[in-house]
Amino acid sequence: MEYLFYCEFDNIPIWEYNRGMARLPTTSDVFNAIAEPQRRAILSLLAQGERSVNDIAEELELKQPQVSKHLRVLKEVGLVSVRREGQQHFYKIKADGLKPVHEWVMSFEQLWNERFDRLAEYLRELQATKPNLRREIEETNNEQNRDEN
Amino acid sequence: MSKTEMKIERPSEREFVISRTFAAPRELVWQAWSQCEHLQQWWAPTGWSVPVCKMDFRVGGVWHYCMKGPMPDGTEMESWGLTVYQEIVAPERIVALDQFADAEGNVSLEMPKMHNTITFTAIDGQTEVTSRSEFATVADLETVIEMGMEEGVTQSWDQLAEHLGTRIK
Repeated sequence: MEYLFYCEFDNIPIWEYNRGMARLPTTSDVFNAIAEPQRRAILSLLAQGERSVNDIAEELELKQPQVSKHLRVLKEVGLVSVRREGQQHFYKIKADGLKPVHEWVMSFEQLWNERFDRLAEYLRELQATKPNLRREIEETNNEQNRDEN
Repeated sequence: MSKTEMKIERPSEREFVISRTFAAPRELVWQAWSQCEHLQQWWAPTGWSVPVCKMDFRVGGVWHYCMKGPMPDGTEMESWGLTVYQEIVAPERIVALDQFADAEGNVSLEMPKMHNTITFTAIDGQTEVTSRSEFATVADLETVIEMGMEEGVTQSWDQLAEHLGTRIK
């Protein structure tokens, strides 16, 4: 699970990392693809099993060219695969298509973790260099409490 | 601060919660989250800086900032964020929408947005901070996942659970 480490590895924020992967379907492409409600409806339908373009159009009450357009987008980002049988094209879901999204979530978690590390270190330094800081804050608090009372 | 003091939970696929106890009074930790002079010291990834930081810390106000740092090819990269404050209860809670943006403050429509709720709890002179991040786009996604996509997806969530399990210890 290489993606878990690249933040530490290269010090690249994950969003820039994703943008850098220009030739691969990027996470933002996948997010884009699934941001569209009709495409999500198509994915939900395909989750139940393989369908032809006509089946999809019929079941979702969409126009066939519209469905084809959506399927093309989903195929480009690797969320569906296509099988040809005579004149018919059959589409099905690709299980690993959502992997970039999962990786993204996990990378973000990693980012926050590291952020907490830095905050801990910063707070430690801040208090070390300003030994009176804690007392000042406590005094301010006491004043505020007096004002309220 | 050792890693053992950190807790990670995943209440659902679309959100994660990180808690940590900091050896600092709550007011100081609150300041560290709500003032540019502090945020610029720790917000960006290691090796990156925050050269631009404009903050209007009030409900409905925005925090527009730039993170700058090196890419592997040696070039400098800028990355802009725009946070909208939705709820501020000093010194206890901040609710904000985090978004990707550009230098002019135009929000990116293609990148995911996150709802973050940060809570600050004073415990014996220390401060427990809990950050709950919810992915707006992944929330939409959840329905798709729940529709029962093929086994591979379930497997990757299992791996995730396993992974988180090892990190909590």
